[in-house]
Amino acid sequence: MEDEEISQEDAWVVISEYFKENGLVSQQLSSFNHFILHTIQEIIEDSAEITIIPERQYRPGERQQQELRYVISFKQATLGARPVLKEQDGSSNLIFPHEARLRNLTYASNLLVDVQKQSIVNYEGRGEHVEGEEEQKGVFIGRIPIMVRSNYCALSNKTEKERITYKECVFDQGGYFIINGKEKVLVAQEKMANNFVYVFHRSQPSKYSWVAEIRSQNESSNKVPSQFSIRLTHKVKSSHEQVIRANLPYIKSDVPVVILFRAMGFVADKDIISHICYDAADVRMMELLKPSLEEAFVIPSQEVALDFIGRRGNSVGASQEQRIIYAKDLLQKEMLPHVSVSAEYETKKAFFVGYMVHRLCNAALGRNKEDDRDHYGKKRLDLAGSLLANLFRQLFRRFTKTAQEVMKKQVDSQHDINLVAAVKEHIITSGLRYALATGNWMQDKTGAVSKTGVSQVLSRLTFSSSLSHLRRLNTPLQKQGKLTKPRQLHNTHWGMICPAETPEGQACGLVKNLTLMAHISVSCNSSQLQRMLEELNTENLVELSVKNIHDRTKVFFNGSWIGIHGDAEYLVKTLVNCRRGGMLPKQVSIVRDIPNKEIRIYSDSGRIQRPVFIAENNKIKMSRYYIEQMKLPRERPDHLSFDKCTELGLIEFLDTEEEETSLIAMTMKELNEGGNKYHYTHCEIHPSMILGVCASIIPFPDHNQSPRNTYQSAMGKQAMGIYTSNYQLRMDTLAHVLYYAQKPLVMTRAMEFMYFKELPSGCNAVVAIACYTGYNQEDSVIMNQSSIDRGFFRSIFYRTYENQAKTIGGADEEFHIPAKETTVGTRDGCYDKLDVDGLIIPGQRVSGDDVIIGKTAALNAFGATNRQTRKDVSICLRHSESGIIDSVLLTVDDLGHKFAKIKMRSIRIPQIGDKFASRHGQKGTIGQTFRQEDLPFSKQGISPDIIVNPHAIPSRMTIGHLIECLASKVACLRGEEGDGTPFQSVTVEDISRDLHALGYQLRGNEVMYNGHTGNRLASQIFFGPTYYQRLKHMVDDKIHSRARGQVQSLTRQPTEGRSRDGGLRFGEMERDCMISHGAARFLKERLFEASDAYRVHVCENCGLFAIANLDRNMFQCKQCKNKNTRISQIFIPYACKLLFQELMAMHIAPRLHTSIS
Amino acid sequence: MDANTAYLTQNTPENVHTVEHPLSGGKTLEEILSNIEMTIIEEKEEHLIIDLVGIEAPIANALRRIMLSEVPTMAIEDINLWQNTSVIPDEVLAHRIGLIPIDADPRLFKFKHPNEEHSSENCICFKLHAVCRRLEDGSIVGDKVMSGDLQWQPFPNQQERFGHFKPVHDDIIIAKLGPGQEIEAELFCEKGIGATHTKWSPVCTASYRLAPKITLKKEIAGENAINLKNKCPMGVFDVKKGKAVVKNPRNCTSCRECIREDDSMVSLAKVKDHFIFTIETTGALSPRDIFREAIKELRDKAAFWLDKINIYKRTPKS
Ligand code: SF4
Repeated sequence: MEDEEISQEDAWVVISEYFKENGLVSQQLSSFNHFILHTIQEIIEDSAEITIIPERQYRPGERQQQELRYVISFKQATLGARPVLKEQDGSSNLIFPHEARLRNLTYASNLLVDVQKQSIVNYEGRGEHVEGEEEQKGVFIGRIPIMVRSNYCALSNKTEKERITYKECVFDQGGYFIINGKEKVLVAQEKMANNFVYVFHRSQPSKYSWVAEIRSQNESSNKVPSQFSIRLTHKVKSSHEQVIRANLPYIKSDVPVVILFRAMGFVADKDIISHICYDAADVRMMELLKPSLEEAFVIPSQEVALDFIGRRGNSVGASQEQRIIYAKDLLQKEMLPHVSVSAEYETKKAFFVGYMVHRLCNAALGRNKEDDRDHYGKKRLDLAGSLLANLFRQLFRRFTKTAQEVMKKQVDSQHDINLVAAVKEHIITSGLRYALATGNWMQDKTGAVSKTGVSQVLSRLTFSSSLSHLRRLNTPLQKQGKLTKPRQLHNTHWGMICPAETPEGQACGLVKNLTLMAHISVSCNSSQLQRMLEELNTENLVELSVKNIHDRTKVFFNGSWIGIHGDAEYLVKTLVNCRRGGMLPKQVSIVRDIPNKEIRIYSDSGRIQRPVFIAENNKIKMSRYYIEQMKLPRERPDHLSFDKCTELGLIEFLDTEEEETSLIAMTMKELNEGGNKYHYTHCEIHPSMILGVCASIIPFPDHNQSPRNTYQSAMGKQAMGIYTSNYQLRMDTLAHVLYYAQKPLVMTRAMEFMYFKELPSGCNAVVAIACYTGYNQEDSVIMNQSSIDRGFFRSIFYRTYENQAKTIGGADEEFHIPAKETTVGTRDGCYDKLDVDGLIIPGQRVSGDDVIIGKTAALNAFGATNRQTRKDVSICLRHSESGIIDSVLLTVDDLGHKFAKIKMRSIRIPQIGDKFASRHGQKGTIGQTFRQEDLPFSKQGISPDIIVNPHAIPSRMTIGHLIECLASKVACLRGEEGDGTPFQSVTVEDISRDLHALGYQLRGNEVMYNGHTGNRLASQIFFGPTYYQRLKHMVDDKIHSRARGQVQSLTRQPTEGRSRDGGLRFGEMERDCMISHGAARFLKERLFEASDAYRVHVCENCGLFAIANLDRNMFQCKQCKNKNTRISQIFIPYACKLLFQELMAMHIAPRLHTSIS
Repeated sequence: MDANTAYLTQNTPENVHTVEHPLSGGKTLEEILSNIEMTIIEEKEEHLIIDLVGIEAPIANALRRIMLSEVPTMAIEDINLWQNTSVIPDEVLAHRIGLIPIDADPRLFKFKHPNEEHSSENCICFKLHAVCRRLEDGSIVGDKVMSGDLQWQPFPNQQERFGHFKPVHDDIIIAKLGPGQEIEAELFCEKGIGATHTKWSPVCTASYRLAPKITLKKEIAGENAINLKNKCPMGVFDVKKGKAVVKNPRNCTSCRECIREDDSMVSLAKVKDHFIFTIETTGALSPRDIFREAIKELRDKAAFWLDKINIYKRTPKS
């Protein structure tokens, strides 16, 4: 059994084990855990100490003998064990996520830091002495929002049962934050990887033909990556001279690359060439370098070269010496910081610059191709952890700065340093909260935000929409750019990014989704790896001999060149074996680039990885023996976990780059057929794992036209079902719940891991594909009214209204029933349904404009009269909605404001105009509902629930839809679950055969009878169950009409939008249409009478508006002394009158000259 | 080709529609009527299969339609919900309760006008009071509310007149309760028809199909006969003495497998005036009663229109 082969079916045991161990949001959780466990401490330790030097106090006659300074440093940070809330009354409470959601709190823990204060005295002539040292333990510096179900959440290590008692959904996987009661997801942000050398071709208008560029960032610092590039000029026809220049940060013009080498101390031509051209026999490359060497002939020494660079920098009016120091500094700290920032940088950097020139030359000589910008191996993802880290670093810097300022003030005003007063916790608390609440990430000095939409409100429409939201990736910027390449599916997306799930329109291809098994690396300790490399005889850059480079393999670690190695194969094998044996972290990626003689090793964060089976000699190492161990219950000690598999070398995680150096068999069959022809290194666990959350819901997606899968992926997020198991306890602003949600007859294996069976989002409808009566044309469907009566696709709609009574900061609001006598501005709606506390009673039936929260605010001194002292600020139900009050919550938020949430429920019965969709991008609205007797019926008397039009099929080519129907029919008749997992061997023929064996027409067609006439239908009808979804778009939420109604106060034109009972715009195009018809009077009626008709009086002398008193029939124009004569009455739009008055306000007199026509 | 037969071919059915008027073939009404035959094929408590021969599709269809939506039954229409602390919202609970079939002969009741009071003439009243409790030993009682928990609250002298009323089935789950939850309601049944709401429909389904007529076009023997037998999933054919015979033509589902590859052997056809009716009741009325009521209803409708036509005929043209 030890090495008995496993079948494709066994792969599902492995997959199931993977999800049991990791869940679907592990990337979010592990990233956040890493942030708390490591990054916070690192940031705090890396921050500079605060030094406070008191202002010198000059006392006459006293000689200052000593200089005192204080040094404040931050040491050990600890996070409160559990999220807490400080109530307004001063008490502190432990909180659980559910309470945070309901009470609009922020789910956050306290961050405490040990602060050390040293007073250092510098006695004149006697040196420094540490006089006093005290450490204050656990200073509260801010509240860190906690990711739900991370290791720091109150729910961690809680069993399912316990989580239920804390009112959580059993299936909720966490991965989001709760900020002011709203669930917020940090969407992973895609970026180009730092420390990568890219070589690009530039075409004519640019000065250069080839560019090798790098965005370099030191691992431990958080500076903006520094740009560095090496460029090759275009071949000019007259001369064949192509020179190579370097573009340095802060240097305005490009520097010849040879000068750069000289500035780093490599003066001799030979020295320089040996750093670039590793092969002494490479004549063509030498030729290419020649003009560059000649160009720099005039700069013979290091000093001159440094001066050359310094002169072009930001050093106006500096002396030569200063310029040289400036240039040296620049080369050390600003250029290629990822290689080194220490004082002995020259050798390393020279090698690296040389390497870049080498790459550039290779590309220019046509030996290598231009680099691919969209290669996914060169992309990194910033997850919640790194996003928070960046933000926290910025906030912590601001925090220390203000602390310093405060302490300086304290000291200068002769007080002792009071740490607690100086520590402003709100900087970090509200900084984090603001960013998470608004999604505006990182502000620069001017206050401009660099990224928006990073944090989004978690979609809670369907469970799968929440899951998909938590696995979303965003590519910032270039949304309007018409560049198509970054939007296209790239080969390297395979297995990492779902090929189907992306929005349509503007963000198409820029917003992506992770596949089910994709995993994102978190950074791991690199020192161990570096040590290992050294032990394995990697020759260090400083020690190596230049001659050897050509024959040996260059070793790169996280983008920086650390040395060369003589036996690449041995090195790679050893490292890979170490990783497979668990001696190296599983996230390390080892890439061997044979043509370029390079080994690249990465351990940085943000790389996407995915698990694959390891194969050796075309055999999977995972065997039946292990599978049986895996099948054992998890509690058993001999149970084999997924993690253990990676340590046993059965499975490994590959990232995009390493994947390219592996040969991965698609199926086990393919692997076995490999023979001697192919030497597979790995095997896919299952090819259906290339899909993401939403696309995994589609049965037989491999039979559909690809855009249809994309459409379904978008539509699945609008389907209603059961979105969490605790929906009755939650107070979401909007929620839909299906009465009778069913699990689909045809499932995919992946759906199991997304709990689709437990929280489904649709019904198995009996569908006929027929043109019956014609009420299903143009993507509409006919629905069975009798089924609807029996509860088919009925749903409950919940809406929560919330309001708070502000009592702080001068506001004086109060929940109660407004008293008619003392309150101004009472609403038109009905107040009678309010309870004595001013809130509506649960169970009450409410309809449009009813008051549901009675609230008044005190009038200020100006507004108040002796009778009326309060203003009505009650909340009414939306005027187009009605329902029943489900529950009422009255509580206090963290600021001590009383506040109420009111949940209303209404029943949505399917009706004409409601939208439905199958799982194949086939959406339609109900065009007609027929009772059972009007519908066609089969031999068994079955009539369809839904009739879709056959015209929906041929042009859309959703064959999966038809196969689903067929497979559902079989599943239904057999009482089994059907399997619609993609890329499996089931064929239509197989399903047909099964169906026929059950006594049905093998293609699913059935003889049917017309319900109206009773005749047999001339053709047979394709008939069977198909899983349908009800989408959230319903006529009742959209229906709108207006004859007359409200107008805007400013322009007196009709209001806009359904919620304000607005009009429908008669726009430009409609106007053009009327003009072309010559319907002038109609046009005037639409645009003027039905809008903002207005009458004004105009003085005929000056043409300006006159005063008119129609009651007394008096007209005058004051300026013209024009009384009762020569005044015209005109009709103009109110907006026009407004314009004239606005013009007058800015000293432009629009004069209306009137005449009677 | 027989005008009274629809043929199934490899591609499409032929001769499906009847275009001639039944009287056009020179038949008299009496002849047609005398040719109508009715046989009960199977009668069970819950369903009835009848063969109706010699009628036209519109008549058969009218009967089917009336059974589905115009034969009245009693169903719960009004609910006074006094207490509902279960997880099921009131509306959903009410909807579920409304669909419970009630074992009561609707012929004993009158239709209730919207502004009429509930009375012994037009209403059956039930009470539902379900409480779930955790007993001292930790076990939970009353966690399932079943249709059997409905208790009849007879109106004065209803009991004497009608005997006993109850839901058809006692084991329909209405709701599930947790400890401490409670449902208390008063339910009022009214007489209604399926056209208003399906809960009043007396049948699960009532449908018919045309009787299949399967003949062998030629003699089929040996290998071919066995093949033919195996082809049909419904066991329509059999082999007797080495020759294929049609054994159970009624079983045919018209899957056309037997003519898919070769249509020279079997002729698949339907007799257009032979209807095999299947009536499945919800339980309030016996299927036989439903059929009888439907015929009554159809007769009333005919009488109604006959009346109208006669009035029209009598009215002199102005
Ligand atoms: S049509 Fe199908 S069911 Fe009918 S006889 Fe032929 S094979 Fe049998």
